[in-house]
Amino acid sequence: MKKDEIDKILDRAANRDLPQGLGRAAMARVQGTLLTDLRPVRPLAPPWVLTLGFLALFAALAVGGGWALGLHGIRVLSLGQRGSIFPLLLAAAWLAAVSGARAMRPASGAPLCWIALAFAVGVFPVLFSLIFSGYGTLNFVHEGVPCLVAGLCVAIPTGLACAWILRLGFVLNWSRSGLAAGVLSGLTGLGMLELHCPNLKAIHVMVWHVAVVVVSGLVGWAIGWMADRFRSGTAGESKLG
Amino acid sequence: MIATPSAPEAASSLSLESLMSGYQQADEQAAATLIERVSPLLLRYFWVHAYHRGYAEDLLQETWMRIHKARPTYRRGSPVLPWIFAIARHTGLDYYRGARRVEVREMQVDPLPEVAAKPVDFAAGDAEPEMAELDAVLAHLPASQREVVVMLKVSGMTVEEVARATASSAGSVKQKAHRAYRKLREAFAQGARSK
Repeated sequence: MKKDEIDKILDRAANRDLPQGLGRAAMARVQGTLLTDLRPVRPLAPPWVLTLGFLALFAALAVGGGWALGLHGIRVLSLGQRGSIFPLLLAAAWLAAVSGARAMRPASGAPLCWIALAFAVGVFPVLFSLIFSGYGTLNFVHEGVPCLVAGLCVAIPTGLACAWILRLGFVLNWSRSGLAAGVLSGLTGLGMLELHCPNLKAIHVMVWHVAVVVVSGLVGWAIGWMADRFRSGTAGESKLG
Repeated sequence: MIATPSAPEAASSLSLESLMSGYQQADEQAAATLIERVSPLLLRYFWVHAYHRGYAEDLLQETWMRIHKARPTYRRGSPVLPWIFAIARHTGLDYYRGARRVEVREMQVDPLPEVAAKPVDFAAGDAEPEMAELDAVLAHLPASQREVVVMLKVSGMTVEEVARATASSAGSVKQKAHRAYRKLREAFAQGARSK
């Protein structure tokens, strides 16, 4: 079969009449339901405003968390270390924020959440291995767990605030939105740790600080996946019921 | 004296984008015209997918309910069809996944009772051979390629519109369409050889 023969079959499907009366009653019901008590709505803010909103949330909670716990980390970082960590952190947060803003509006572009996660998980360990030293594992877990917990304690309120912002839009894919919110929350935790944690051992920063982004991203994705399952479950039951 | 067009006539001459903006501003005539103009496209989109065919009307209604909820997220001036089809696509996916899950959970112990009326009469008229032919073509394709082919060829959308509706890039849509055609040609060539 040639391409034009396949095209002909598809053209026939595109041009053939639908069964008599199909959709007429449904259309009347839709019009009857939607047009009664129709009220004007305020359009959602433009994508750049939403992106800035997510970034403002990231910056406020990272700095606020660092401030509350003590800015010990930034004091021991050299200028070069600060100049390489924070711009990259902002770039990763920008990717996650754009992804979150896109998730709020149908047909608003390709999702960037997986790229944001890959960027965070790929770039930060390499960067930390280049600018820090020390791979001793003495007290590795003992020093690491409090950092992971503190990072996640900042990530949780960020995630809740992200979910609130996301609900202002119309999310089609909660798994992706959850991942974007989770990565942004994790980056907020990571940002707070860079401001707060004075432990500059490469192995500690590479594993425990980056783990905040990974754990937070995966938890966000899992919550989103459950939300998608719940929505498709109710759709399927309403269809069959 | 120049006759001024009536409200329905004026609305029917507007673009889908203007009608959607009117819908956002609670213009009933614009909303009614939008529903009349877009519903056949949505219905055809659901109708050509074999697993949605019996529920095309339910899906149409559910899609409009979601469009109604989502209407603040439409950006004035941007293309309407990708925005609407993105919602329709997810409505279909949710129904499909939900129904599959319910079917897997349910154990059939007795024969199902006769239903009063079938959702759609497939055997009516001469429609079946054409749909069977289409189903045979689409059955060779994975879901993502099938979706792209249907949107491009049956719904008549452009590559850019399909890319926006499916949250992918134009390059990815072109690649999926190309692979779909290659797969179909191979499948039909194999079928011809085996005969």
